[in-house]
Amino acid sequence: MRALLTSAHKELRLLARDYAGLLVLFLMPVTLVVVITLVQENILQLSGQRPTEICVQDDDQGPFAHGLTAYLQTGKLEAVPWTGSADELRQAVTAGTCQAALILEQGASARLQQQIDRQLAGDATSKSPSLALDLLFDPATMVGFRAGIFARVQMAAQATELEMKATRLGARLTAQAGAGTPAGNGSGEDLRALFSRSLTTIAEQSGHSSQSSMDEILNPVDRNVPAWALFGMFFTAIPIAGTILTERQSGVALRLTAMPVSPISLLAGKMFAYLGVCVVQFILIALVGIYLFPHLGLQAFSLPINPLSLLLPVCASSLAACGFGVCLGSVCRSYEQASTLGATIVVAAAAMGGIMVPVYAMPPLMQQLSILSPLSWAITCFSDLLIRGNPWESTLPDLGRLVAFSAVMLIISWKRAYR
Amino acid sequence: MKVSQAYIADPAIEAEALSRHYKGQPEPAVDRFSLTIAKGEFYGLLGPNGAGKTTIMSMLAGLQPPDSGAVRIHGMRYGRHTRLIQSKIGFVPQELALYQRLTGMENIWYFARLLGLRGKEIKSRIEQSLEFCQLQDRARQPVATYSGGMKRRLNLAIGLLNDPWILFLDEPTVGVDTQSRHLIHQQLRRLQQTGTTILYTTHYLEEAQELCSRVGILDQGRILKEGAPELLLQRSEYQNLEEIFLELTGNALRDH
Ligand SMILES: Nc1ncnc2c1ncn2[C@@H]1O[C@H](COP(=O)(O)OP(=O)(O)OP(=O)(O)O)[C@@H](O)[C@H]1O
Ligand SMILES: [Mg+2]
Repeated sequence: MRALLTSAHKELRLLARDYAGLLVLFLMPVTLVVVITLVQENILQLSGQRPTEICVQDDDQGPFAHGLTAYLQTGKLEAVPWTGSADELRQAVTAGTCQAALILEQGASARLQQQIDRQLAGDATSKSPSLALDLLFDPATMVGFRAGIFARVQMAAQATELEMKATRLGARLTAQAGAGTPAGNGSGEDLRALFSRSLTTIAEQSGHSSQSSMDEILNPVDRNVPAWALFGMFFTAIPIAGTILTERQSGVALRLTAMPVSPISLLAGKMFAYLGVCVVQFILIALVGIYLFPHLGLQAFSLPINPLSLLLPVCASSLAACGFGVCLGSVCRSYEQASTLGATIVVAAAAMGGIMVPVYAMPPLMQQLSILSPLSWAITCFSDLLIRGNPWESTLPDLGRLVAFSAVMLIISWKRAYR
Repeated sequence: MKVSQAYIADPAIEAEALSRHYKGQPEPAVDRFSLTIAKGEFYGLLGPNGAGKTTIMSMLAGLQPPDSGAVRIHGMRYGRHTRLIQSKIGFVPQELALYQRLTGMENIWYFARLLGLRGKEIKSRIEQSLEFCQLQDRARQPVATYSGGMKRRLNLAIGLLNDPWILFLDEPTVGVDTQSRHLIHQQLRRLQQTGTTILYTTHYLEEAQELCSRVGILDQGRILKEGAPELLLQRSEYQNLEEIFLELTGNALRDH
């Protein structure tokens, strides 16, 4: 413990003297967060992120449901049947296992048909109650993604409804023709009403239990701030690796090896010092998000009701980043090697982990690979707390993964760091 | 030439047939090297560049294990007694093993803390060390601003923080001026008088002749000749160690 604290103290001292290093450590991630959020906010709002799947709970099992799923399919939106209950589906959406879900109530087809019949019977002028479909979204999805899904579901619903109306009208005309009665009250006016007034509406809901409006909950800033803060945190791996490499090149490593201290304590000391650095980095970025963003025309970063709940994921992510740095420094032979390799790995892990493009918007193969990236574990913790409003306990598995990752990194470095 | 070591009764360092062959090198860096050093001895390892001095030193100080052979320090082996041995040896690397951005005082403080010193002890130890290397006036300036000689002195002082039984010095006077060298010599002699065993490598043969109670001339990882400098000179027709050295190791460049 003494060696650990001494080592941490020395690292902070060294860092405090390195003004250029400090500037890079703190200014770089802040700049990154501001620039990327400014740029990305619009991109994510404008471009639909190519949604591909929607979970459908089909309690209706009627022609409307069949028609709807068929139309969704032609719109390149795979309807995945949901077998559990509606409540379970809501939970799956809240947890982010399902990004979008559609609930088709029991008897929806029958109700719709009744209403179509009433419209056909000339009752069209009366204000007929419409059929409301519940469309649920994972709170962590972006506006563009939701708009894309919404539009396709709406199109599919209208197409199905029109098809049903046309079939109904056809049947009625045939029946009337057979009975020899003129098309009577089926005037042009009524037909126009029949086809122009849609009977289905789509109610967009958050999967979130509080059921508050989506637009209030979703804030791209809440995703971008932790995402790019994490990116910056993992970049501290390179300066950490640098400290080990300098020690090796200067002969300090030899001196340390000749001393009665374990390299584990010394490395853990480094991690401890830089953990502090990462936490400060995060706080700085959060403050920028809260106080500076509104002045830049962005939404403000909103902390959870209990900001301290962020402490655990911030610390666990920092620990993982520091562990990676220590390992990088132990494995690489020169600073050039460490910075090139480190930057490549961090950028790749960030891309894979959903820092740049959310995981749900990636091709299926990358979605599966993303679970290998520590940055994805970290961003999931933050999304759970900040966006999905889940209790902190739900982040425990990912926190565990992050801590285990740093422990593995430390063990790999143990025998290599000072050799 | 095979040197018998049997006459040393109370050895500080015993090395038995140490060998080390680095991966990718055609020849072994150290080849069945044996050596016994008595407590309180001042032993000089002399050899051209690449002779294997640093490799031998690092195996003796427990920094890397030999491929084969055994090392005993005060009768103890590495592995079982590593921590104990480490707390009783001082190692001064050939490189300047210092944090350039920390001050001299902070460097001393850091290594002293790692050695387990604390409180009043650490304070007095820092003062002693600064006095030892005559850096009191510059103690609060970053090491990066020091001259080569000052850094060498500090490098040495840090190796002495734990009052070691055995001091390993790898070229402690390389690149320093006459004044600094003189100071270092003086300090080393004083250390020897207090009973510290010193094993040291150097390229300065005059220095070795002046300081060492025994020297070993080394090439290609093996000892070629060994003995007290005076005896070596008496037994040969040469005037100084340098002539013996060149006779034994030849004139060809080693690290070409
Ligand atoms: N880490 C290493 N990897 C590969 N070869 C090495 C390594 N360290 C030393 N060697 C080789 O082992 C041999 C002995 O090297 P060593 O550093 O022990 O010599 P030295 O006597 O200390 O030389 P110098 O006087 O230049 O310091 C040299 O041929 C060197 O090239
Ligand atoms: Mg050497």
